[in-house]
Amino acid sequence: MRTFLPAVAEQLFRDIQKIYEETTQIPDDLLIALKFVFGTCALQALDLVDQRSVTCLSSPSGRKAFQVIGGSGRLYTCFLSCHYCPCPAFTYTVLRRNQGLLCKHILAVYLCQAMAVTQQESVSDQQMSAVLSGTGGP
Amino acid sequence: MTDILTLVFRTLSSQTGQNKDPTAGPPPPAPRSKILVVGEHRLSRSVLLLAAVTAASELGVRVAFFAQSQIQSLPECLQRCIATQNPEGLKKITFSYPRTLEELLQQVASLHESPCPPSLIIIDRLDGFLRGAVAGSHVGFHSGDESRAAHLAALLCDTAAFLTEVLEKRGSSSAPCRAIASFLSDADSGQESRDPSATDSILDVLDRYFQARCTLDRDRSYEAAAAAAQEAWHVYLSGTKIPDDLEDGPALAQEWKLFIFPEGLMEFKLV
Repeated sequence: MRTFLPAVAEQLFRDIQKIYEETTQIPDDLLIALKFVFGTCALQALDLVDQRSVTCLSSPSGRKAFQVIGGSGRLYTCFLSCHYCPCPAFTYTVLRRNQGLLCKHILAVYLCQAMAVTQQESVSDQQMSAVLSGTGGP
Repeated sequence: MTDILTLVFRTLSSQTGQNKDPTAGPPPPAPRSKILVVGEHRLSRSVLLLAAVTAASELGVRVAFFAQSQIQSLPECLQRCIATQNPEGLKKITFSYPRTLEELLQQVASLHESPCPPSLIIIDRLDGFLRGAVAGSHVGFHSGDESRAAHLAALLCDTAAFLTEVLEKRGSSSAPCRAIASFLSDADSGQESRDPSATDSILDVLDRYFQARCTLDRDRSYEAAAAAAQEAWHVYLSGTKIPDDLEDGPALAQEWKLFIFPEGLMEFKLV
């Protein structure tokens, strides 16, 4: 995902990707850095990662989107190239209060991508359009 | 997108005017591919139509133009421009009239299905779509609109990013895919709002996704009369620095003056 993230966050994900490729674990110092940069949503995002909650949808046109199963079981659609999530936390903490970079769902997407544990699913172009517009989903 | 807008302004600038030498001064900032036009509806729609026609006829790119209300007629200056430009290029503009925010989201979301995707996506009057999303809402914006505004803006950005990849893979000279939208907050329209802070918050949300802003500000001094014009406007192009800008180069900051004459002609001058 091309990011709207500060350089320190981008470097953190690169470090996580590198170390996870080698050891399949995230060491404590990177976990602490994750918590420092992203606050309380870091642990919540790691829970979502553990539950394999992130799926990358692909359609024949090549269009992609991420879907995240939230803690309540609800499905959230996030985009590849910019930050958006329909969850209340994104609206309140990020958009309205400008107190966070992102919500746990978007962070879970970054982490799953870095750790290569994103699920993959194919959908039709029409289904993808419905997912992107928020009017439907698989 | 600022390259298309700058092309529009230069095309309609006076040949004998005292424009600044565009080659003088520091190197210009990189073009922005997503720009928000903020200002009075009538003029912002004219700017969007000018951008669409310029892109289609001079750059030869496909344009998808979304508006809630039908375009009954083109501005006078545009009719004169079309007469002198390649009329075949106008066939590259597709006009769509979604009635609701949901319809707009569906139409933008389905652009990836098109075998001939656009290189320029234009949405006129974001505020109309967003305001209409709340049933019975006819005054101001309400809570929840931030999320809807973010969804629409993010979908527009993500769609433009995807179509850029498609165009680049095809080796098309039409890449990147650009996006331009217009917006007018209740505060700028002079309408009363129950929650004045809510109107600015929508613009704050949109600013997260658009790289640059084109602000249209009416000049109420005597400058219009001095130029024998009916109206005079300040046009400001502004934006934060992006990675494509030169490290020591300036952020986007450009000012134009727009004169509208009684017969409908428009003339831009670089300040």
